Amino acid sequence: MKKTFSVNLGNRVYNIDDDAYMRLKDYLDRIEGYYSDQKEREDIINDIELRISELFSERLGLTRQVVTLADVNAVIGIMGDPREITGAGEEPQASHYTSGPRRLYRDPDDRMIGGVCGGLGAYLGLDVTIVRILLVLFLIFGIGFLVYLILWIVVPEARTTAQKLEMRGDTVNTSNIGNFFRDEFESVKKSFSRKKTK
Amino acid sequence: MDFENVKAQMRKGVLEFCILSILSKGDAYATDILNRLKESELIVVEGTLYPLLSRQKNAGLLSYRWEESTQGPPRKYYALTEQGKEVLVELEASWKGLIDAVESIINKHPNQ
Repeated sequence: MKKTFSVNLGNRVYNIDDDAYMRLKDYLDRIEGYYSDQKEREDIINDIELRISELFSERLGLTRQVVTLADVNAVIGIMGDPREITGAGEEPQASHYTSGPRRLYRDPDDRMIGGVCGGLGAYLGLDVTIVRILLVLFLIFGIGFLVYLILWIVVPEARTTAQKLEMRGDTVNTSNIGNFFRDEFESVKKSFSRKKTK
Repeated sequence: MDFENVKAQMRKGVLEFCILSILSKGDAYATDILNRLKESELIVVEGTLYPLLSRQKNAGLLSYRWEESTQGPPRKYYALTEQGKEVLVELEASWKGLIDAVESIINKHPNQ
């Protein structure tokens, strides 16, 4: 026995098994994730839902009442992978920041002393550890300490979210700030749950 | 070089042209358009059509109206706008130019 949901697809009501519902919802959400423009997203999703509705009604015919996981999988096979539909090469999460010119800041979130290496790493697109190793090498040869001190004094700290985005070369706009907070939230959540499991 | 991407880009450009072409012969709803594109094997998965339709509609090339259907959900019939017709004429001209250009290059190569 399975639980069913009733869904409205293209102004028609379907009963759908819960596993089939989850699969379909996940599929539509993934397509939605590619479009930031609300109007465009609604247009495309509505058209796709309409077509899925048509395919369901063809598949169900007059005798069957419930849409199953097999139906949903078959229909997704016909509609195609979200990446193909949207013509995108990769999942959107990989590059959801639009980029702009980078600026040099000290990174207060990635610091051992003054955040100079963290900021330099973000500016140069290098791993912080590499920057730190380079600095230690410079220290051994003498001038590193002075360079670090000067940078610490001269380079401003990235205090605001906008500055932190600039530091990573991301354009400051509302959607990026939204993404930034979502990422921050996720990382806080992760570190919290890690602490809990310890 | 990623040739899959080249092929996909080529197909996408041609697809937009073909959608306008199909609609120039009469209004059609998405599934009509799909069936014709599938007959000529221009489209592999159906989903690729919808972003194109939405783009062309937002660019003012297409308009649509709703019609009830006796079987299944109501249908969204697409039609070419005046602007769409103008764009189609331009695309037809550039398509013919492209074919000639490509043919002449393919046929000349590599003997000359």
